[in-house]
Parts: sequence; C-alpha cells; structure tokens
Amino acid sequence: MDDKRESPPTMILQFAPLNSSVDEGFWHSFSSLKLDKLGIDDSPISITGFYAPCSHPQVSNHLTLLSESLPSSSDEQSSTESTSHGNRNKCPVPGTLYNTNTVESFTKLDKQSLLKSEANKIWEDIQSGKALEDCALLSRFLVISFADLKKWSFRYWFAFPALVLDPPASLVELKPASEYFTSEEAESVSAACNEWRDSSLTTDVPFFLVSISSDDSKATIRHLKDWEACQGDHQKLLFGFYDPCHLPSNPGWPLRNYLALIRSKWNLETVWFFCYRESRGFADMSLSLVGQASITLSSDSSVPNSVGWELNKGKRAPRSISLANSMDPTRLAVSACDLNLKLMRWRALPSLDLNVLSSVKCLLLGAGTLGCQVARTLMGWGIRNITFVDYGKVAMSNPVRQSLYTFEDCVGRGEFKAVAAVKSLKQIFPAVESSGVVMAIPMPGHPISSQEEESVLGDCKRLRDLIESHDAVFLLTDTRESRWLPSLLCANANKIAINAALGFDSYMVMRHGAGPTSLTDDMQNLDMNKAGRQRLGCYFCNDVVAPQDSMTDRTLDQQCTVTRPGLAPIAGALAVELLVGVLQHPLGIYAKGDNSSSSNGGNTDESPLGILPHQIRGSVSQFSQITLLGQASNSCTACSETVVSEYREKGNSFVLEAINHPTYLEDLTGLTELKKAANSFSLDWEDDEDDDEAVDM
Amino acid sequence: MDSAGEVLNDGKITLEGFTVAARAFADKWKRHNLSFPSWSWVPLINRTLLKKEECYLSLEKIIILSSLEGSAEEESLGVTADWWEKEESIDHTVLVQNVEDEAHYYDYHIVYSASYMVPMLYFRGYSSDGKPLSLDVIKRDLPSSSVSLLLESKWTFITQEEHPYLNRPWFKLHPCGTEEWIKLLSESSSSDGCQMPVELYLVSWFSVVGQVVGLRTPLEMLI
Repeated sequence: MDDKRESPPTMILQFAPLNSSVDEGFWHSFSSLKLDKLGIDDSPISITGFYAPCSHPQVSNHLTLLSESLPSSSDEQSSTESTSHGNRNKCPVPGTLYNTNTVESFTKLDKQSLLKSEANKIWEDIQSGKALEDCALLSRFLVISFADLKKWSFRYWFAFPALVLDPPASLVELKPASEYFTSEEAESVSAACNEWRDSSLTTDVPFFLVSISSDDSKATIRHLKDWEACQGDHQKLLFGFYDPCHLPSNPGWPLRNYLALIRSKWNLETVWFFCYRESRGFADMSLSLVGQASITLSSDSSVPNSVGWELNKGKRAPRSISLANSMDPTRLAVSACDLNLKLMRWRALPSLDLNVLSSVKCLLLGAGTLGCQVARTLMGWGIRNITFVDYGKVAMSNPVRQSLYTFEDCVGRGEFKAVAAVKSLKQIFPAVESSGVVMAIPMPGHPISSQEEESVLGDCKRLRDLIESHDAVFLLTDTRESRWLPSLLCANANKIAINAALGFDSYMVMRHGAGPTSLTDDMQNLDMNKAGRQRLGCYFCNDVVAPQDSMTDRTLDQQCTVTRPGLAPIAGALAVELLVGVLQHPLGIYAKGDNSSSSNGGNTDESPLGILPHQIRGSVSQFSQITLLGQASNSCTACSETVVSEYREKGNSFVLEAINHPTYLEDLTGLTELKKAANSFSLDWEDDEDDDEAVDM
Repeated sequence: MDSAGEVLNDGKITLEGFTVAARAFADKWKRHNLSFPSWSWVPLINRTLLKKEECYLSLEKIIILSSLEGSAEEESLGVTADWWEKEESIDHTVLVQNVEDEAHYYDYHIVYSASYMVPMLYFRGYSSDGKPLSLDVIKRDLPSSSVSLLLESKWTFITQEEHPYLNRPWFKLHPCGTEEWIKLLSESSSSDGCQMPVELYLVSWFSVVGQVVGLRTPLEMLI
C-alpha cells in the first residue's frame, strides 16, 4: 500500500445500514399465498424487493416489500399498479424468503449459514460476470419469517448480505457532489442522471458508471458492462449507484458489494464513487455525495465473510407486526358494526352512550318468537352479551316465526332452542358472547312431588344466579305463571326487567319498577321528588289473583298461544327500545314513567331517545298503541315488600309453598283479605273470571 | 367546454365529471403546489365487474417527521443472539445509527363513490418499517387546526372502512355530508347563479377536505 504522507489521516469507510419496510399489502398477499397455495410447504420463495435513491434530505429510503413482491398468484394484484420494470421508484432487487411453520423452527433457523449462502450467490454472480449484466443482483437480500395465520401476526428478520473487505476500505474523502464537481460538470451530470432516470429502460438500473470527459465536462452514464469502453485518458470515471441513505457523511449499504465487485473485476485500489440521491424527482447534487475510497487488493478468490442482519431499534432481534385489526374477519365485523353505531351518534344522537350498550349483559327467558326478535334487535344496538334460557326444542313450526332457527335445527330429534339460538347468533356476529341454558322455570300452580323438589330448587337457584349475574332480564315466556319467579327475583336483586306478552292480535311491553328494598338501600344519593320515590309496578301488580295454572284444561289454540305473526317482531323490538331507553336514562331503573300525552315534545337532554314509558299496549286490529303508567301495588304477589322480605327470610321453603299452594301468596299479600272485603259488598257481580287473565296479557 | 351536465345541482358529480375534475385538479396541483409531489392517476384494469374504466387519484409517501414517542410496544421476542456472538466481533464498517426521529408516511387516494356520487378521500399512515399507524397516532401528526375541525364540524369525521379496490381497511372522511357543503360552496362562489365549473369541483372539494388531513390547497388553484 503506497504511503502518501500528505494524504489526510484515513478513516475506515463506514456504511449506513439499509433498513427494511414491509407494506401491509405484502402480508395480506403472503397470507393468501400460504393459505391457498403453499400450505405447509416451507421451501424458500423467490421474492422481489424494491428500493429507490433517497428522495428526502432527512429521511433515508428503505428496501420495501409490497404485495407485488411475491410471485403472483393469478388474480391477486388485479387492482394494483402494474409491477415491474420501468418504475423509477421501484428498482427491483431479487431476494429469498424463508418462511417457517412454527415459532420454534423460526428461532432455530441457522442464520449464519443462510446469510453465507445468499452472500455466496452474490459472490458467484460477481465472479461469473452476471452482476455486470444485471447489477441489481449486487443488492440481493434474504428474509426469514414466521406467519401466525391464526393470530394474524408476523415475525420477520431481514438480512442484506454484504461481502466484507479485509482489511476494510478506508475513506480518503467524501463531500457533496456540488462541491466536488465544477458547475458545468454538475450540470451535465444532473442532466445525464435525469435522462437515465426518465428512461424506462434504465430507470431501475441501480449501479452505473459516470464518465466525464475532461475536454468539455460532458458527462455520460453507462452500464457497468461498458467499463472497458470508459477507459481513456481524457475521462474521469466515477462509480455511481442509487443511494437510499440521506446522511451527508456516510454512503449507503449498496456500496459494500459494489466495492467488492470493483475490486474483484477491475483490481482498482482507488475508487471514486458517486452516491446518487434525488429530491422532488430530480437529481440533487448537494444531497448526492462523491467520495474516494482506498481498498486493499487481494488475490484470494474465495468468498469473503459476510455481514448484514438488520438490527431492530439497535438490537439484534427480529421484528414483528400484528395485523389482526385489518385482517381478522371477526375483528373487521366488529369494527364495521361499531362504525354503524358511531355514525348514529355522530349524525343523530351525540349524547348516546355506546359504552353502556356494549357492556350490558342481557338474560332472555324464553327463546321463542319473542326471544329471537329481542336477541336480533339487541345485536343491532351493539349489545353483545346475551344469554338464553329455554327448555324446549326447535319444532317444525318454529323457523317461520322464530327468526334465529332454520329448518336444519328441527331435523331429527330437534336441537334445543337455547343451544340453537346461541349458534345462530354466532353465525350472525362471531364476536357475540352468548350462552344457552336448557332449563325450565319453576311455576306456581304446578305442584311438584317431593322427589322433584330438589331439582326444582336447584333450578330456582340457577335462575337466581343467572339473574344476579346479568344486568337486564327479558321475560319472554309463553305463560303468565312462568313470569312470577323471575319477577320476584328481579325485584329482589333490583335488576331491570322488561316484560313482553302477546295476545292474539294485541301486545303488551312493560318495564318493571325498581325492587322494593332498593328504595332504602341505594336511593340516598339520588335526588328524587316524592312522586319519583313511588315505584313503578310489575306485571303482577294489578292482579287480584295469584298466578296459577293457566295451561291445563285449555283448548289447543289457547295452549299454543296462537298470535298474529306481526306481533312478535313489534313487541320484541319495542322491548329492546324500552331497555335502551332505560340504559340511556340517567336514573336507569328508577326513571319515572312518561306518557306520550304528557311529554313535552320528545327528546330532552335527560333522555336523548325520547320519552320512557312504563307500559306500552297496542293492537294490530286497530293499528293503535298507547302508553300506560301504573304504580307498584303493596299487595303484589311478585314485587311487594311483603313478598320480597318473605322470600329473603324463608328462601326455598317460601318458593316451594308458592309453587305448591298458590293461595299462599294471596294470603301472604293480603289479597285474600281484599277479596273477602270486596265480596262482602252485596252486589251482583257476574262471575267475572276473565278469560283474559288466562291468556297472557 | 360543456360542463353543465356533470356537476349536479345538489352538489353531486357524475363519474365523467369526476374524471374531468380529477385531471384538472392534478394539473393545477402540479403547477401551484411545488412543495408536494404530484398526484398520479391510477387506472384500474381487469375489473371484471365494471364496464367503465375506473381510476383514482393517488398521492403517496408524504413524509411527516415526528419525534419518537416512548412507545414500548416491542415485546422482547426472546430470541437470543448467541449465534451472533460466536460468529464475529463487531463489524466496524457499519455505522452505528442513533434511533432518532421517526418518519411517518402517508398515502392519500381520491376515489369516486358511485353510491354517494361525490369524491371520497381515503388515507393511511405507516411508519418506516411498514407498520400501519393507528388513528390516534395519525391525529397527533395533524396540525391542530385539523384536529379542531374534526372535533367541531359535523361534516367531517374519520371512519375506517375497506378501501374499495385494495381490500384493506383505510381511513376515510365519511362522505355523507359532502353534497351539502359542496352545494353551499358552489352557491356562495357563483355570482350569477351559474353552477360551479366541473374543473373546479375537485379543487373546491379538496380545499375543505384537505384541511382535515393537513393538506393545504394553495389559493392559486382555486382560480
């Protein structure tokens, strides 16, 4: 090595590492490729990376993988720009992808040998001269990856193999091109570069020769393979390349293999190189650099060592990315449904509280015509926690009226409704949290034998636990008496209860008032006037008889509660709207009942959705609907303080009494007394045992 | 220059009108907005469902530098580098880089919506390694004027929906208010009850919409 004493102290030439950038589209395409074509095949895949010269003074360019980086599988990229050659911003560079099928095999990959084998390929291309023909081969790269297609997360690690010069090259000088060239040279070089970049034949050729004639300062750009022709006395020769790096005092990574090529092919000890960089689509001579490197020749033709694994934020670790939000179809469904609700809030109801809806837990007692409608409407409101309780199986007559069931559910022995309903909800919206309980609700007036006692009491406990673990309960069964125990339990636990019942051509939807003991327990801090402190009534408050067996000895049509088909959707929908109204109301279960006549025109700040009635009754024979208001009765067999206290005190024995002896409830609440008092008036009442009482209303 | 039929009275625009307006917009942008790269017109070929050739305007790789937040998202992936230690000592020829400011890249697409009959702006952001940016991060990159516009105006809100051609979720400015305010714009700017010329449609539209995503429309473009 000649000693030039007057040369400045030489430093080792330091290269700025190349960094990777993987577009989301690459992972989408790769996932499809893996799922559709590759399966568990983990042989290496040839891919194409893209890079371009730096185009911003503060930000380096990266080697990018796009969806078109993968070998195309037919109609994958029909909607994206045409790939390939001739794009000035996408110089294609060959690479290899090693994808493993498990995390363990990813970790165990022999990175040393993979790097070595890619570096070998570069070395061979240099030796054979192929790199002169297709210079992009100098920037060959490799990626190892592990794609977890269940969780849509991807782990990957790039390597940009660089042949190590030993001893390393030293930097003699480096300065911006505008300072190195004369102004005529700079102008000519710029023009030549721009021409090179504008032609689709050369724009993606990342390594080139810049030959400047010393006679007229005219610059020409030539392919590497024309090196011979560029030799001559009157010419200055620079080795130019697209430099992705933006730094003013370091050249980019591609120079490494370039120097290895130059040394090997042309045996030069002094190399003038030109880091080509752009701005706004044109050559930028102040951003571009010209430098002089000094390299030690070597006669060794064996492949040099290589380096090049990419660092992750300075650490030697792979990178990872999770794309579940944009790839997992279930998540996409969730965000689409959420968007819909948000639009409602933005456009129409800015004060809508969506959080309370997404967190409320609903218990549906009954998965028949009403239950199915309620469930669907709940999901429309973004309510996603729904539990069904139903003892029955899907019968052949059900699917036409019960919107969650299909013909398949009836075939054979028939699926349990509670189970089929859950399945159906999940098919509609996979992210729903739904479960089904196959259980009968204990009813008064249907006495049980002592052997059945244990299991019935077990059901009572289960029902109680269910009610206590949910926030809102829908009473959607098909008899009056089956609503008694749930009403009591809701009053006891102070849970929102929405009751819907159907007649042949009429419907009733109501919300139960707060439980009787709650008034003292929770109410201290709520500011309510005297009227508000009165509880709203429940389904049984207006009754003068206790619930009893309404089913035996009835005719078939009465037993099957035949109703006009339009009613269940109407009543089910109203039930859900009523619940949402309660949930949006600041007082919740304690909200007083409005009448449509008494309202002052609808939406107030307190209740953005409009009025919140207590009861709604309507008929399709009249196409009419009214709202009603009823206060709680002290003699109610389900929600009065007497009954609730007795239940709290006596627990199971109380329930058994009520089930086996319905008059027990009448005695307890004083209804017996009331009736005696009424009967003692001597009036000619017709025996007025309403059939209406027996039919659910 | 028959533009009367293409911008409709109610602020909407036909597909043909959109095509004309888009070209005019891209030209004006190139001439007057030199600090930005120009919009390119991306044709969609091989769309078997559509008979007409559909295109959209694309502006990509806009860089916004932001200082690194102390985001500790990287789990330690537990991959030991012992194989590294064995192989070689530190390579001194590699520049050790300080992890400085992070660059955020933004792509913008202007797409015609056949159902709303107005243009729609789709955009996305990603960091330099390709990771998509969340809306929270994007909002932090927006100038404060944009953020307040988003909060206050009932006509501008950002939703995340599937890009009509790329089949991936992108952010977009929801178009349901567009026709209303285009109508207002057009009424206020026309002197004698003439409709807005179709060449200016997209420019006017973008002068409002661009503000929401921090892209300014130079006044010269509006002439």
